[in-house]
Amino acid sequence: MRALAGPAMLLVMVGGFAIYRGMAKEEAPSHDFLELEFAGADADRTGSCYSLSTVLIANGVFGSTTRTWKAAGDDSWTLDLETVSQSYNGPVHEFQNFTFEKSGKQVQLKSVEASAGRPTDVTRNIDMLLEAPNGRHSTPVERCAGSGAAGYHYNPRK
Amino acid sequence: MRFIVAALLLAQCLPLSACKKEVTRQEVAAFVDKADNAARKRFAPEICELRGKDFRMKMKFQGHEARMEPTQMEIGRKLYCANAGSFSRLRQYKLERTAMDIDIATDRRTARVTADYIETMPYYEPGMMPATPDDFTHFQVVESRDESVVGVEDGDLVFLSTEADAHQSLILKSSVAIPYD
Repeated sequence: MRALAGPAMLLVMVGGFAIYRGMAKEEAPSHDFLELEFAGADADRTGSCYSLSTVLIANGVFGSTTRTWKAAGDDSWTLDLETVSQSYNGPVHEFQNFTFEKSGKQVQLKSVEASAGRPTDVTRNIDMLLEAPNGRHSTPVERCAGSGAAGYHYNPRK
Repeated sequence: MRFIVAALLLAQCLPLSACKKEVTRQEVAAFVDKADNAARKRFAPEICELRGKDFRMKMKFQGHEARMEPTQMEIGRKLYCANAGSFSRLRQYKLERTAMDIDIATDRRTARVTADYIETMPYYEPGMMPATPDDFTHFQVVESRDESVVGVEDGDLVFLSTEADAHQSLILKSSVAIPYD
């Protein structure tokens, strides 16, 4: 019995450390979720030809804003973007919370919350989010890699 | 074998010794000194590690133009830390604490610290991209009263929350000498 005391204690310590590391990790959607095609704002939800990760990178969300992912359901995630901007009367907290949901092979923007002065209309936000990847001709998803591909607001490189 | 068991027991007890629960006035005063020094160094990781996991900061800020309404904001630790990082760009910064009062809670688990500060740093106009750190005409002087709750987290003292009421004024760059550091 005594011989087992040491290894048992070691097991408790290692287990405790593993639990601590697991709890400290920030949650985030899977790579598969981020690589889904971002849906357009039309009634048919036509694909935009860009993955969600491409849309986010093109919009610079990995820049000076802080970003936090929160699970909003089984196949749904909310991305909170926050920053402090300087105005003439002092620092101002600005935020945008985007909720994305998986739908088949696409990911759709379901709702937007934002600080005063920023739009919360979903259609407008989808259009705004797609301006950057379309303007930069970001890398499209495989479906749109060939010539003649069509997508919501998609502007293939000539 | 006994020695190994004793060593393992000791190793298990070490984290328990970090389970400090009560705070004293002296510890809190030393902690605030440490936090002020971290702010003077403008080193974000050091500033950040003194804030608790669920740290919240509320700030009311009256800008130098009195005719404009003050801004109010509430931010969490993540954004606070990101913002602290931007302080590292300043080459001239002065922080003075002019008053401090520490009130220990009856259960001795937290302390309420009320402190008055005067910060002096370059004022860059909003939206302006300075060509060099010297590209400014005025220093901003921010006088604030901070009310913070200090408590113990993972055995260490941390700020649990801060409410700041700040007032900004501008002074000519030539009117004050702040060393570069």
